[in-house]
Amino acid sequence: MTAACNGRLKLMPKIIIDNKEVECREGASVLEAALAGGWNVPHYCFHPGLKVVASCRLCLMEMKMPHPKTQELDWAPKLVPSCQTHVREGMEVRFDSDPVKKNVENCMEFFLLNHPLDCPVCDQAGECHLQDYSFEFGRAESRMVDEKWKNPKKDIGPKTLLYQDRCVLCSRCIRFTEEISGTHELTLVNRGSKLEIDVFPGFPLDNPLQGNVVDVCPVGCLLDKDFLFKKRVWSLESTPSVCAGCATGCSIRVDHAERVVHRLKPRYNPKVNDWWMCDEGRFGYKYVHDDKRVTTPTVRRGLEDSTPEWADLPGIIRYRLEENVQANGSEKVAAVLSPFMGCEEAWLLGKFIRDAAPDATLVIGPIPRSGEDQTFPIGATGDDIRFTISQEKCPNRRGIEMVLEAAGGKTLDFEAFVASATAGAFSAAWVVGGYPAEWLDKKLAVKMAAKIELLIVQDIFENPLMGGAAVVLPACAWVEREGSFVNKAGLIQTFERAISPPEGVPQDGAFFFALAGFEGLYTGERVREQMAGKIPAFADAYEAPLKPVHAH
Amino acid sequence: MGKFEPVLTRNVGVPHSTDLKVYELRGGYRGVRKALKMTPEELIDEVKDANLRGRGGAGFPAGVKWSFLPKDRTTTYLCVNADESEPPTFCNRVLMEHDPHQLVEGIIIAAYATQSQVAYIYLRGEFHEQFHVLQKAVDEAYASGYLGQGVFGSDYSLDVYLHRGAGAYVCGEETGLIESLEGKRGWPRIKPPFPAIEGLFRKPTVVNNVETLSCLPHIIERGASWFTSIGPPHSAGPKLFCISGPVNRPGCYEETMEITVRELIERDDLGGGMLPGKKVKGVLPGGASMGALTADELDMKMDFDDPRKYGLLGLGTAAAVVFDEDTDIRLVLRNLARFYGTESCGQCTQCREGTSWMYKIALRIEEGAGRLEDLDILLETARNMGMMPGLSICGLPDGATYPIETIVKKFRSELEAAIRAQPPGRAQEMLRVLN
Repeated sequence: MTAACNGRLKLMPKIIIDNKEVECREGASVLEAALAGGWNVPHYCFHPGLKVVASCRLCLMEMKMPHPKTQELDWAPKLVPSCQTHVREGMEVRFDSDPVKKNVENCMEFFLLNHPLDCPVCDQAGECHLQDYSFEFGRAESRMVDEKWKNPKKDIGPKTLLYQDRCVLCSRCIRFTEEISGTHELTLVNRGSKLEIDVFPGFPLDNPLQGNVVDVCPVGCLLDKDFLFKKRVWSLESTPSVCAGCATGCSIRVDHAERVVHRLKPRYNPKVNDWWMCDEGRFGYKYVHDDKRVTTPTVRRGLEDSTPEWADLPGIIRYRLEENVQANGSEKVAAVLSPFMGCEEAWLLGKFIRDAAPDATLVIGPIPRSGEDQTFPIGATGDDIRFTISQEKCPNRRGIEMVLEAAGGKTLDFEAFVASATAGAFSAAWVVGGYPAEWLDKKLAVKMAAKIELLIVQDIFENPLMGGAAVVLPACAWVEREGSFVNKAGLIQTFERAISPPEGVPQDGAFFFALAGFEGLYTGERVREQMAGKIPAFADAYEAPLKPVHAH
Repeated sequence: MGKFEPVLTRNVGVPHSTDLKVYELRGGYRGVRKALKMTPEELIDEVKDANLRGRGGAGFPAGVKWSFLPKDRTTTYLCVNADESEPPTFCNRVLMEHDPHQLVEGIIIAAYATQSQVAYIYLRGEFHEQFHVLQKAVDEAYASGYLGQGVFGSDYSLDVYLHRGAGAYVCGEETGLIESLEGKRGWPRIKPPFPAIEGLFRKPTVVNNVETLSCLPHIIERGASWFTSIGPPHSAGPKLFCISGPVNRPGCYEETMEITVRELIERDDLGGGMLPGKKVKGVLPGGASMGALTADELDMKMDFDDPRKYGLLGLGTAAAVVFDEDTDIRLVLRNLARFYGTESCGQCTQCREGTSWMYKIALRIEEGAGRLEDLDILLETARNMGMMPGLSICGLPDGATYPIETIVKKFRSELEAAIRAQPPGRAQEMLRVLN
């Protein structure tokens, strides 16, 4: 009552589900309250990020309603969709009851009437809610003995397939294209059991967010061509991570097996990406498994190349840098910190350089940009924006800036660095790359390399600086490292290591950790503790991955 | 009881009955002139007193429906449900074909009572001629100042538009109609909010049937008490009845709701009896969706309440279709099941899958490969869908299950006999082929 009368003081409504009192969020639906309370309530059409349509009729519950004539609360004769009903203080609902169970059981039989039961060849098997709900609530055998109607399999876009025969017609995918991407590619055709999801002729499902329709599909109807027949999902391991594709920094999950990343999936985070991620990020990890990656360190002295042991490298580098500083002075040293580095790595490298050369210049690497920010639904502005793909195609510009600011001393942007380096301002430089695409102008790079006596280049792929470098180090992709990124809104997000780097290569952070003189095992957490002295925001950067308010 | 004088169909058969002049000469547009002198509240009370129950099928009192509109609304829409998609029904068609001005007059009264600024007539796609007749009537009304700015010289303005559907059964459901009118797929909406609160273009909306609106001019002109004096107390007013099947005079007739199904079939001025040599086997008295009666149940009154006593869903559209002794009940079952299997909009699981399953079973029974347990599956499936147990968004599945359920229950012995008469092993062989 107070909640209704007093707008400011909101009490958490309490409702009774199966005789148990549950506290729930004001304005939540009964379904959300039950799911949050631990009930496994089956549902397909409900998705907390999309409009409620209440059409799958799976989440129906018994509810106490005011009698239309006497206004007395009593069990309503009908079942009520719990996704559509908002919680009210003191409300009483029943999920564990015969009519409810009977309905779910019948529904599961209905869903499978025309389903081909092709789980053995279906990519969704193992994470399919037709399987899960049938096992939990359905009956073992169908009573339909007649011929199944075969709805067609369709190629609806460059990246997605639609197997209509597996569809439960929850319409989540359609609502996604209407409400989130705003591109309206998907629609329904035909009626009754021959109802199909389809695209309009000549307009394939092809928008920057289209991969999400595969995620919202609770069954194996929408399939990712990229992942098609690649791996059974139960052999995948999932690691929480952050997308490194752009400055939005979507929370993601890296699904990998045997040191190979098989797919990226968005992870619920209301502060950043809700339930979604873009295709650019989703499929942008491929460079991680590129054959052309640099995997061995090289040290040159004169014309002689050698491949030292990783354990010896910190000593070699430290010696050569000190030698250079003594000869040329510490102000002739620079380090280029790439916006693809984690905050911890940047901080460790910065610390190492400044320890060896207190007057060294710290430089932020070039920020790759492309076009404008893309907002969704297409054309949305202000509060209507549900998703943004940033024009800044790197994950950690803000983080590097924070590290540089905390480090103080002389800092430069990359253009100014290139200008002074080609003019011979530096005799020693450590340049970190890590860009998935080419990022250096060849001529300038060669010119620059010629002027720098001790050039340490660390990158994922070969770059034009390497020809003139004294030390070439392989870098790791973000899925091979642990650390944190700061997105364009200033949110610090930590990510874990999903797969190990190429054979023998230590992850960047661990190498810097040893280089900076720390002992023991490198963890992001340990470095953040150190950093917190200068940048307090890093003290509690870790946030446990959120469980979304719905089951799937 | 004196002979019933036709009210709604009084102009049917009159030469040029669709012309505004003829309509006015025969007393038309008097009700609306009277109505515009009353306040909307008085009008609503008058219609409530008349207990005008909706003619579209559910029988919900029109005046009560209007009073659900929020008091502080600014925009209101009136939708005229002229979709008339129930299988053997053609009462609205008759009204629109022969007396379109009566409908226009009813629309003005209802729109004024609900203070609607715009009325949409949602016509089913197959109504080609009716569309032109109605459009001509609307144009005439505009030309005479009966529609548009300042209706009949009053301060009240009303625009009327005709909209043609694409021919879907579910678009006769009021929220399906609203969605279709908005240009979307005709999927019934979840309620609440009800259309009276948030309907067409998210504004308060009233949806009324053609026949309901056609009653209004007469109620206003002659008074609520005149209206309630016709027919039984809870089912007041004149009503159009359709009769089709092997009867002598298939057609649409106006009567009070006191008549029985038997009268509708037998009376000389109505159905005129069965064709020579034919005997009634069963009747679907209220359109296809209400369920079936056997030959022993013909004394059912065609009013809003009596059908429930016979296990039917309600009066429906009061369009009876008779099937005779020679009809194979399996054909009836299959034909009904097929209709709902293809007309289910596909939104709710139970209805989408259940209707097509019932159709498959009915088809197999018709082909002579039925099993006795199929009848129980039909009954169970019928119980497992519908709005009444809360399992669907709209009433379509209720309408889909009542005919199947009543036929299986009431004609079970015949169905069982047919299944038993199949060649032995026929069902098994069919199942083997199918699977």
